[in-house]
Amino acid sequence: MNKTLMILVASTALTASVAVPAWSSITNRVDGASSAAIESDTQSQHMMFASNDDDDDGYRRRYGADHDGDDDHGRGHDDDDDYGGGANNAAPAGTVAPPENGLFQGGVRPIVRTN
Amino acid sequence: MKSLLASLALTTALTVPGLALARPVTMTVNLNNYGGPGAYLALYVTNSSGAYVGTLWMAGGRSRYYQHLSDWYRATGGSTSQINGITGASVGSGGQLQVTFELADTLFDAGYTVHIDAAVENMRESPNEVAVPLTTSGAGTTTRGRRYIAGFTYSM
Repeated sequence: MNKTLMILVASTALTASVAVPAWSSITNRVDGASSAAIESDTQSQHMMFASNDDDDDGYRRRYGADHDGDDDHGRGHDDDDDYGGGANNAAPAGTVAPPENGLFQGGVRPIVRTN
Repeated sequence: MKSLLASLALTTALTVPGLALARPVTMTVNLNNYGGPGAYLALYVTNSSGAYVGTLWMAGGRSRYYQHLSDWYRATGGSTSQINGITGASVGSGGQLQVTFELADTLFDAGYTVHIDAAVENMRESPNEVAVPLTTSGAGTTTRGRRYIAGFTYSM
């Protein structure tokens, strides 16, 4: 009987240790979610990528301008895959664990494939 | 012996639900041949109130362009802390993005919605191009986007 009791106690402890943190991480995240509701922006805006590091100025200067198809204004396509340089860029996948936002279980990293 | 078996059955019944808190989910985004450079895509989740919960994936590595993913940007302020470790390359015209996650079971059939904002250089922004409720019955169903996304599907 003592043995049975021990097994029951152990299983309860195991279940609680697995389930409680996982459940609370989800519910806490949801409870603490930003109150700002996501609103669908029905008025799409024209997007202009800037080609230099002063992107804000470049963006404002070019925003709303007609695109005539040439790149005389210094606009060019940036290859976005140079993760290493920008201090303000996010850490690429695989270099750090995913954020603890309650969506990813156990910190398992997503597996991505892009064609 | 019987009591041992009973206790084993009970422990199994108690433990299994605790372990089955997550499931692998693969999300696939196919893009139209829109004839432009690589698209930035933000995949993120809102709850039943429409409040931002978290980001699943960011396709596109340069933070200065995130303002063009306008709904995502409004919800996050463009904070890279939201996307550290879940950021990859942008997706080319006609290309495909496929990401597999271990997602919490509780996200399904509980009012959560996955959204995708899209933006392409020199082309129009497309916030909330796709908004799909996360349900077990919705797995495998393809949803078309408004502008750049030919189809979005999740499977599990």
